[in-house]
Amino acid sequence: MPASPHWVWVNDFVFPHMSDGQAMLVDGDSGRFLGVLYTGFGFTRVVPAKDGRVIFSPETYFSRGTRGTRTDVVTLYDPAHLAAVGEIGIPPKRSENMPMMANQQLTDDGRFLLIYNFTPGQSVTVVDAERRAYVAEIETAGCALVFPTGPRSFFSICGDGALLDVRLDDSGHATARTRTEAMFDVAHDPATEKGVRVGDTWLFVTYGGTLQPVRITPQGLRRGPAWSLTSPGERVENWRPGGLQQLAAHAGLNRLYSIMHQGGPETHKDPGKEVWVYDLALRRRIQRIAMRNPAGSIQVTRDAKPLLFASFIESSTLDVYDAVSGQHLRSIESVGTTPTLLVNP
Amino acid sequence: MSAVGAARLAAALAALLLGSDTALAYQPQVNYMLQCMGCHRPDGSGEPGRVPSVRRTLVRFARLAEGRRYLVSVPGAAQSRLTDAELAELINWMMDHLSDLPATGIAPFTAAEVTRNRRPPLIEVSATRARLIDQTR
Amino acid sequence: MRPVDATAWLDFLVEGSARGIARRTSRRGLLGSLGALLVGAAVVPLLPVARGAEAPGKQGGALDKSQDPTQCEYWRHCAIDGYLCGCCGGSASSCPPGTEQSAVTWVGTCHNPADGMDYVISYNDCCGKGTCGRCLCNRNERDTPIYVPFESNDYDWCTGSDKANVPYHCSTARIVAPAR
Repeated sequence: MPASPHWVWVNDFVFPHMSDGQAMLVDGDSGRFLGVLYTGFGFTRVVPAKDGRVIFSPETYFSRGTRGTRTDVVTLYDPAHLAAVGEIGIPPKRSENMPMMANQQLTDDGRFLLIYNFTPGQSVTVVDAERRAYVAEIETAGCALVFPTGPRSFFSICGDGALLDVRLDDSGHATARTRTEAMFDVAHDPATEKGVRVGDTWLFVTYGGTLQPVRITPQGLRRGPAWSLTSPGERVENWRPGGLQQLAAHAGLNRLYSIMHQGGPETHKDPGKEVWVYDLALRRRIQRIAMRNPAGSIQVTRDAKPLLFASFIESSTLDVYDAVSGQHLRSIESVGTTPTLLVNP
Repeated sequence: MSAVGAARLAAALAALLLGSDTALAYQPQVNYMLQCMGCHRPDGSGEPGRVPSVRRTLVRFARLAEGRRYLVSVPGAAQSRLTDAELAELINWMMDHLSDLPATGIAPFTAAEVTRNRRPPLIEVSATRARLIDQTR
Repeated sequence: MRPVDATAWLDFLVEGSARGIARRTSRRGLLGSLGALLVGAAVVPLLPVARGAEAPGKQGGALDKSQDPTQCEYWRHCAIDGYLCGCCGGSASSCPPGTEQSAVTWVGTCHNPADGMDYVISYNDCCGKGTCGRCLCNRNERDTPIYVPFESNDYDWCTGSDKANVPYHCSTARIVAPAR
């Protein structure tokens, strides 16, 4: 069956049985379950190569299942047959946390795979995706996660709200690490880690619903002008963004999708029964899509007639919507135990 | 007003002020608990191979200018939710209570010194620490 | 604030008197002298007030959920994320048999409605076995993003020691000290 942009990887760390992590491939058009990868302990997500030829999957295994010696690898899967075809050993330091897209990312050209480590010392493992080899571990003390900004650059977010801007050479080693000024107000209204990228801008939302862009410029990383996802009246009604994978973006339509719910402060991880859609050029909401079921994770396909996928960690149902009209198209049952991240192939 | 009455009034005013961060000055051992203990452990011994022990390095580093800058700018300290004065007080307390080596002859940290050296937080942490350990053998 | 004598501090706790303190103090809380608790302690001890809190909340009254350590609504669970060790063969303060307490943890503050006070809580994970699977609970009071690790409940804190061996089993909520 030929690959389709309307397929989606539903990643699942299977919280009640964390050794049984898995990634499930589902066809959003037919609703058909296409296959599954079994991906080890505390699984985060698959990282499909940009040329579609291989799927990278950073994984953790213990020699006796739930005890014994820990080994971390990047498993390579063949996308056509969903079978493991190799692995790359990496330091057994991969951060174990509630799965986030920014736990591991490819550089913009797909050359290097970056993996966030937490021991609790913080660092980033660099893997050469082309040569399929471990390159180096870059110390990123005080800073977390990886947000690619170019073919040889990424940033991490630091505990004081500044960004650590990291540059790589062609072998994947760090050539420079510099801290920006604080981009986020950690003390009063932190940005969540669940940013999404549109062109040269990373879009982050805060607990209170402010959108804080981070722009990639030739001069370095810069704060873009902030704007609010909610009107003053909506804030009085306690509308705010929330969820696990709470944002999605469609570059072609220049739109941002945000899971929204009504709740007080500190409900930033709550699911929502609406997805609000924003025009990024106008910087305002253009649509409210009602969710059939509470949504904690959303993803939008990249093509010109995009689908919107929605899932929730406490449910096995994957919901599929037309991302433009908002119409609910189908619900697919039995997709995972505790689904976390939705990834485009 | 009697002395007892004045003391009670002062206590009542203090109670009213408790909602404000700036009115509170926590004891340094309390700040250690909230900002450091989670990784460095109650006695500062850390976790071998993962979290450094502070017990044998605090005083050694504090004898060197670069060591003092390290203690203030290492991200765990620099990014903590402490004012510059509180961070100075905390490091002084740690040298007195969590150090295997006595802090005799070490100049106490001051808020001004912390202000000068805390920001931006240190990036090259491991290499700096290794060099300081080498220099203070 | 000048140091408070440790003995007097514990007497105050036993008396259980509230002094009209603001119900919701700042996250950093107010803590008295804790030297005895910190020096040389590898395991955070259980304070007298914690034992009191695990008994029925009111004299002659029903045990409400905020005072029941097996409930997600237990006051100490205000920022917990995981399985409650009390349902897994341990307790809110101790690890089930065969599991190791993670030395590395994060520390928060929670409010106890029974006595109107805030307490510093250490969410030590118990590690070395697969997940317990009972009494899942996720609350996020004062939780921060994972780039501020020490106040984030999104990490598997079993990661912090070789002995604890990373597989996460359940979470405790240990009282470290009262917050005044």
